[in-house]
Amino acid sequence: MTARSLILVILLAAGFLLDPRPTGATGNQNFQFFAPPAEGTLPNGPLGRLIRQGELIFIHTGQYAPRYVGNDLTCESCHLDRGIKPYSAPLWGAYGTYPRYRSKNHQVNTLEERIQGCFRFSLNGTPPPVGSKTMKALIAYSFWVSRGAPVGLYLKGQGIVRMSKPARPPDPLRGKAIFEARCSLCHGLDGQGTQSDNDQVAFPPVWGPHSYTKGAGFYKVSKLAGFVKMNMPLSKGETLSDQQAWDVAAYVDSQPRPEDPRKAKGGKS
Amino acid sequence: MVVSRSGSGVFSPLALAGILLGALVALFPSRARGADTEAALIAWGHTIAMQGNGLPGNTACAECHRINGGGMPSVGIPRIAGQTETYIYREIRGVQEGTRYSPYMDGIVQNLSRRDIRAVALYYSTVRTPKLNDPASYDPALRELGRRIAHRGLWDRNIPACILCHGQDGRGIPPNFPYIAGQSTTYLMGQLISFAVVRRKDDPEGLMRGIASKLTHREIKAVAQYFASLDPPVYGKIPAKNRPDRLRLIPEKETPTP
Repeated sequence: MTARSLILVILLAAGFLLDPRPTGATGNQNFQFFAPPAEGTLPNGPLGRLIRQGELIFIHTGQYAPRYVGNDLTCESCHLDRGIKPYSAPLWGAYGTYPRYRSKNHQVNTLEERIQGCFRFSLNGTPPPVGSKTMKALIAYSFWVSRGAPVGLYLKGQGIVRMSKPARPPDPLRGKAIFEARCSLCHGLDGQGTQSDNDQVAFPPVWGPHSYTKGAGFYKVSKLAGFVKMNMPLSKGETLSDQQAWDVAAYVDSQPRPEDPRKAKGGKS
Repeated sequence: MVVSRSGSGVFSPLALAGILLGALVALFPSRARGADTEAALIAWGHTIAMQGNGLPGNTACAECHRINGGGMPSVGIPRIAGQTETYIYREIRGVQEGTRYSPYMDGIVQNLSRRDIRAVALYYSTVRTPKLNDPASYDPALRELGRRIAHRGLWDRNIPACILCHGQDGRGIPPNFPYIAGQSTTYLMGQLISFAVVRRKDDPEGLMRGIASKLTHREIKAVAQYFASLDPPVYGKIPAKNRPDRLRLIPEKETPTP
């Protein structure tokens, strides 16, 4: 009994000691997750400018990296809060986990290659070359929001939550009803998103010609379900049941969207 | 038609208001009787705005919202000029149904028919008025906090940036998400508090109830005074893509037909 609680105490203490949270520069009061450097602590000079440029590309991808983007999405469409929000594939959860072997292309990928994948499959565009200004800026921004994060360790909130198998097989028809009731307010009954008053993309299209391709991670129902479960509707994450998240993801991914560029162009990854 | 952003256009808001008022006056002689043309509806909406529809309880909207819909910042009567017809219609229906809390309005709007509501909503969506002076106190110490909540949100409490739904600089994503830029501090604080204590419950998905209930009073003040400091958009246009039939409308699905 006491031995067990002693072990517990030791484990807890170890947890605190290994806490990857950087001391001092926390812009985020929620100590449950890794906290990137506070706003306003950006270094001056060329690096600071590059980081800021990366942040702008991240938020307004089509505007700041137009030649590499082929649809209406931005980095932030999937990586919420400028790539910081836990469970929406935050940059700080990715930065320290590359290089990594990926079954998607049976290769060890660097972070640059992973970002190229985002442009190709999710943004339906052209991958920015390694060494291009766009890639450098995105890497610099990723580096900045990951400052203090451990390399090669699992961090709570990284990636997309892994969904356990649903009780019933995901059903697009049930998903359609949920989508229309809870998602169409922003994404439209036809999934094509919404415009702002100056005709910019406001809420992104979730299928159709201006959305992600069949090669994107979100074309996997389990991935999309994990994202929806933790993040959708915006500010109301974890209000859909697991089954609802699976169903709505199955519906969205059953809708037409651009072909996987690997198949469309007959090329290899 | 000049439908550019306020302030950035060649016309000052006042000149613009003048031109549009002129256009509106020019419409009146040709007001069609019987047939519900848009001009006829606007004219009827104008009448309701100026003197009410003549039924018991109903009074001129202009008594509080002013002739051109600028509202009364001092007591938190909202600016409605340039909100979209769809949104104004929805909100008046919300007051009728009791989902939008408004102790002043709920008596006044009970005797408005659907056609009356549509007419007055259409009227106020087309009028223009410059931003009125907001006499509420402004706390410079809260400036950065307000800006941050507006543009970044407080994601560690699952509060998204306001601009994600209310549009760049609070200019709205019509018709479901109204503009909040240029509303008075008093109005914005009142609505946030009303959402937080669930007196106002016409927000789709309970989004605003959820968000407002997580804000502290200090944050409410900060974000309200931030949006109050911005300029409102001048027109109530629904972007081409956001056709109301594509978007589920709250609190009811009905389309605003008479």
